[in-house]
Amino acid sequence: MTALAHGIGSQHDLPLSPFYAFAGAFTALFVSFLALGLLWSASRFCGDRAGRPVPAAVQRLADARPTRTALRALGLAAGLFVVLHLLLGPDDPERNPAPGAVYVLLWVGLVPVSLLLGPVWRLVNPLRTVHLAACRLLRRDPGEGRPLPARLGLWPAAAGLLAFTWLELVAPDPASATTLLLFLTLHAAVQLAGAARHGAGWFDHADAFEVYSGLLARLSPLGRRPADGRLVLRSPFNGLDATPQSPGLVATVCVMLGSTAYDGFSDSPSWITTVQTSPLGRTAAATLGLLAAVALVATLYALCSGAVRLISGRIRHPLPSFAHALVPIALGYLVAHYFTLFVTEGPRTVLMAFGADDPAPPDPLLGPGGVATLQVLAIVLGHVLGVVAAHDRSVRLFPPGRAVAGQLPLLILMITYTVGGLSLLIV
Amino acid sequence: MRRLRRRPGAARPVVTAVTVLTAAALVFGASACGGRATTHHKPGTSHEQADGDTGRLLTTDDGSGNRLREVDAEGAPAVTVAVRRDSEDGWNVQLSVRNFRFTPDSVGGAALLGRGHARLFLDGRPLARVYGSWYHLPDSLVRGAGGGTGLTAGLYADDHTAWAVNGAPVRAGASLVASSAKPAPGTARSGQPRSEEPRPDTVLEITVSGGKVSPAPGRTEVEKGGTVRLRVRSDRDDELHVHGYDKAARLPAGRTATLTFTADRGGLFEVETHGSGLLLTQLVVR
Repeated sequence: MTALAHGIGSQHDLPLSPFYAFAGAFTALFVSFLALGLLWSASRFCGDRAGRPVPAAVQRLADARPTRTALRALGLAAGLFVVLHLLLGPDDPERNPAPGAVYVLLWVGLVPVSLLLGPVWRLVNPLRTVHLAACRLLRRDPGEGRPLPARLGLWPAAAGLLAFTWLELVAPDPASATTLLLFLTLHAAVQLAGAARHGAGWFDHADAFEVYSGLLARLSPLGRRPADGRLVLRSPFNGLDATPQSPGLVATVCVMLGSTAYDGFSDSPSWITTVQTSPLGRTAAATLGLLAAVALVATLYALCSGAVRLISGRIRHPLPSFAHALVPIALGYLVAHYFTLFVTEGPRTVLMAFGADDPAPPDPLLGPGGVATLQVLAIVLGHVLGVVAAHDRSVRLFPPGRAVAGQLPLLILMITYTVGGLSLLIV
Repeated sequence: MRRLRRRPGAARPVVTAVTVLTAAALVFGASACGGRATTHHKPGTSHEQADGDTGRLLTTDDGSGNRLREVDAEGAPAVTVAVRRDSEDGWNVQLSVRNFRFTPDSVGGAALLGRGHARLFLDGRPLARVYGSWYHLPDSLVRGAGGGTGLTAGLYADDHTAWAVNGAPVRAGASLVASSAKPAPGTARSGQPRSEEPRPDTVLEITVSGGKVSPAPGRTEVEKGGTVRLRVRSDRDDELHVHGYDKAARLPAGRTATLTFTADRGGLFEVETHGSGLLLTQLVVR
């Protein structure tokens, strides 16, 4: 969190002791090969069709118009609160809650909320509300608009995600009011223009926060069954299995993984020295670093899917078929890197929003050993979920004789990501 | 933009205490002095070196041409030396004297018991004449004298004879070594309050010049509860900041600023400059 350190989050987690990392890496390897030999040989996950419906009363409450309106009003109020604080408040992230609201409550807070409740940002997104209100005024159907080209898929969201992570990790002064206002204005302009042209469906593909929240919500126990619209409790594996294979899904996941990885190694003194002494200038060097991290993650994935194609022979486009299995790994990275930030800066931001002047951060919930354990557990658990998801997908896609061989490249890829993630916690 | 919490000037009470004690020592020293103040010499009046009848003039000299003037051990002038590194340049030398008074206005006059001035020597070579209990010794002077670490102070009478007891000049030594903020062994007077802060557990010396940090930023392991002293010199006006602890210090261009604090919270903390936004080092406190 080097870049953020200028604004938010002044304390970082201690580097992991190698013992924890080795233990984690060993567990990951062990589980991977155990899964290869012991897990089922016929696909078990049924994606969208799975789940046990929640009681009808709960569903009625969740779908009720007042609930929806209240959520929209809440999102709009929060958005206004942030913008007004940026415009009128002091330009000091220790006195102004707006930067913390964006980088901690929204960006990091979306992770636990989406994991528990599903793709909530769709319901709260103030831009969606603004679009909806404008359509009401103009007596237009909000869903109406030119259809989006199918090839576009999630690519705009991947680009938006990259832009936001650039702002967070690379931009010279990410927590300053000017920077944030500029970003929020650009983001709102692009989103509203897109929605005006393509209808509200634009947000599903192009709003980075909605797509981010939606991908993490794949692991939520709460989901909606498309066939009958019922809210169901389901295994996260089924939710994950139902991830639509849109174009750009791989890119989005690679941006999530690559940017979090960059966040990890941008903390190391050697990288900071490289950036500080680079003849290109700091921002350019850091930008290249971020792009290189995303490119590295993507290249490894492309190599792996090439290998899968060679081995299986049958699957023509293995690239998006396994992207969903990387979501839990990305989630592990996110938890490992942002847990401390969230539990210390989150409450501080809330206190600031309620008028406290520069409140002290709360005492840490976990000691250093607890944080280290949590970090390793998050990464290893993400790895295990990813391995299981990929296993199920490969026994479904590959001919029976090739299922084990076919998932070897995936296993190697996941082990690489996991060991990479753990080693980023050591540096 | 970021608030500053300046450290209260902890050095001032210490200096005051030392000054008071030194003054007290001087007063007591003067009253205990046995010599009768029979004559008073106007400044600039010239006298032979062998002037005055205080004590016994010896034929031996102090090694640099000044004859020794022997007095009885009891009530004889005495000196101790303490040095400590200055935060900016060179050393601060403190002479604590007993049975002695600095009399700069009568230098060159006749020798009177318990009066005169002090001289500093570096490895035996004359360095400076001192008319008071505190003296700032700049690095340039140390270099100009050919360098060395053995600092000696001797007490001299107004007529430039060296006060001596039992045939040896009244002298004390201290060692100019960076780590020895304390006086050299044996020279510290017992009961003298320590004028230095407790020695820090971790001392980091960092220089910023032309946007480059040297030594290159790294990680420093610090034991929780330990004292950390940062000594930072920047080639431009800047501000030093320790994240998490929220300690700040002004960095005037070209001068070394010192920031000392206790690392009482665990975690990884960044030390950086705020103007130029450079990371200087990371402190790993556990």
